[in-house]
Amino acid sequence: MIAALFAFVVALAVASFFVARYRAQAVSGGRPSALHSRPAYHGFYSFLWVLLAGVGFLILLTIVPNYIITTTLLGDIAQARPDAPYIEHQLILSDAKALAEGRVASQSGELRQEIAARYASLSATWGWIRILAVVAMAVLAAGATQRTVTLEYRARNRAESIVRILLAAMATIAILTTIGIVVSLIFETFSFFAAIDWRLDKFLFGTTWSPLSGVHAGDMDPDKVGAIPLFAGTLMITLIAMLVAVPVGLFAAIYLSDFATKRVRSVAKPMLEILAGIPTVVYGFFAAITVAPFLRNTGDSIGIPIASESALVAGLVMGIMIIPFISSLSDDVINSVPQALRDGSYGLGATRAETMRQVVLPAALPGIVSAALLGFSRAVGETMIVVMAAGQGANLTANPLEAVTTVTVQIVALITGDTEAETAAGPAFTLGFTLFCITLLMNVLAQRLVRKYRETYE
Amino acid sequence: MYDAPKLENAVEQKEIKFSARDVQVYYGDTHAIKDVDIDIEDNTVTAFIGPSGCGKSTFLRCLNRMNDTIDICRVEGRIELDGEDIYHKDVDPVQLRAKVGMVFQKPNPFPKSIYDNVAYGPKIHGLARNKADLDEIVEKALRRAALWDEAKDRLQTPGTGLSGGQQQRLCIARAVATEPEVLLMDEPCSALDPIATSQVEELIDELRARYSVVIVTHSMQQAARVSQKTAFFHLGNLVEFGETGHIFTNPEDERTESYITGRIG
Repeated sequence: MIAALFAFVVALAVASFFVARYRAQAVSGGRPSALHSRPAYHGFYSFLWVLLAGVGFLILLTIVPNYIITTTLLGDIAQARPDAPYIEHQLILSDAKALAEGRVASQSGELRQEIAARYASLSATWGWIRILAVVAMAVLAAGATQRTVTLEYRARNRAESIVRILLAAMATIAILTTIGIVVSLIFETFSFFAAIDWRLDKFLFGTTWSPLSGVHAGDMDPDKVGAIPLFAGTLMITLIAMLVAVPVGLFAAIYLSDFATKRVRSVAKPMLEILAGIPTVVYGFFAAITVAPFLRNTGDSIGIPIASESALVAGLVMGIMIIPFISSLSDDVINSVPQALRDGSYGLGATRAETMRQVVLPAALPGIVSAALLGFSRAVGETMIVVMAAGQGANLTANPLEAVTTVTVQIVALITGDTEAETAAGPAFTLGFTLFCITLLMNVLAQRLVRKYRETYE
Repeated sequence: MYDAPKLENAVEQKEIKFSARDVQVYYGDTHAIKDVDIDIEDNTVTAFIGPSGCGKSTFLRCLNRMNDTIDICRVEGRIELDGEDIYHKDVDPVQLRAKVGMVFQKPNPFPKSIYDNVAYGPKIHGLARNKADLDEIVEKALRRAALWDEAKDRLQTPGTGLSGGQQQRLCIARAVATEPEVLLMDEPCSALDPIATSQVEELIDELRARYSVVIVTHSMQQAARVSQKTAFFHLGNLVEFGETGHIFTNPEDERTESYITGRIG
């Protein structure tokens, strides 16, 4: 039904475009310059209005009635069964909808049948209202815009403002989503802190992480929400990852930008970019299935016990994951150091290595640091690899050969665990918010460095 | 049209620094320099003039093998510095460039302090044994580039903070500090205002006392003002080479005359 209505609106919009364009041509009487806006703009203006009116009402009359019907029926159910809990009301409603639409319901009964009948009649009524309203609005828009096809009418300017408003609306959606996520993070974080009596110090500096151990008794135990082991684990894995990624990535970038021949570069650069395209879940099981046993066996053979899940494995593989990120960004900054500086250095009899070390790298340093910071914030937020290769237990240790856990792993454990989502959400959101703050800080820092760098060289 | 050439500059025969014979340069399939023969004298300012794309900068860059950094560039023929072939396989271009300094079109100071800019070459080539030595080299170079008085109180500030003309003189100081024998200048004044230009031109005239200077320029007035010898390039050929005064007052080739009177280029 919705698809058919949508098709109608689009067809009408297209037809309206051609009619308006034709009419504009006719009005101009063969002198296009007499028109303020070219015929196609009159067509486009008409097209936009028909589409906006039709699709707008289509969306409106799909969402609003659904809400009205649900509230009305839930009210009816509540009257019939005032003693049942809210969740059962919802269950009855969903059964009734299933019955009305001829699907299998979990349970049938008098009340369900009655509600189903009411649902059917209500949705039929609203369905007709929707069809009539959408068709009427689209036709109205088509008619109204046909009347504006005159010599002076500024169809181009108006069509452009409509497009501009549409673009702004899209941008707003993106921004509002971000704000919404942040606000909900903050909100949940506050309610979690409220649940532990605002003992922020326990969260930030406590060393025992077992947030769900007391929930069956009905409350959070401030002594068991210490996130230090999580932060320590995250930090250790991230540091190992950076120890791998920064040198390898940076030297790869130096080689590719200034030492490799064109042919090597044309092959190696895309290869590195492919490395960036591998899904992190693949890295994850690569770490757990290939790297971890290899390290454990190697460790055994030289007498060092390495746990099968360890910070070392997760850090190594995460480092490999970040290499292309760092090398590609560093390559860009190194390449954007003006050739004139290199020529100046070569002209003084400096070798390539001297030029790279004393002129190019210092000039590119802010950009390279910001690449490393961006890599760092990626490593902090990385999830799949650590879930598979780092371990689950909140274990506070400085030994990279033991299993540790990270902030992201604990969020996964909380949300996918058996505990009700609403209880587990508190600590999970709080951890998420902390993570968000850290990565935000890193990204802002990185961007500032890049901007400082750009000011010097462009 | 141009300033009266200083005829008194046309003086006795000097020692030959660069001697080029039958030089060809190719960029991929493009034949950029054709059959160039030229002798560049010591203690002389030699100007390369000619319309854009005539190969004068390309030829200049052959003299210190800067073209080596361009992959598709190929140089044939023989170029000798003090009688030694600079394209011989035993010659290290890095050492050659220490002897043949270069100043570029756009001032390109390194993103370092004024002091470190000048000290860069001497440090690389190990010309200073200690800090005091280095200080002395830096001061001498800055004095020779007529920048000392302006820069002596701000040696530790970034070289990029100087004005355009000061930056170009800093680049000259940087080149001079490595004690080269020849100084190549690729349109050193094209990015400068008239006052800075005249300062740099004065400087070039002073540098002649110690070095052989080769300057590429688009400005015929500049060539007439600063050089003793002028070479006119056209479409990759060296059309005419001789005393500056002679070239500008009595050119032998039709193309040279057309160029200096403004009909081609």
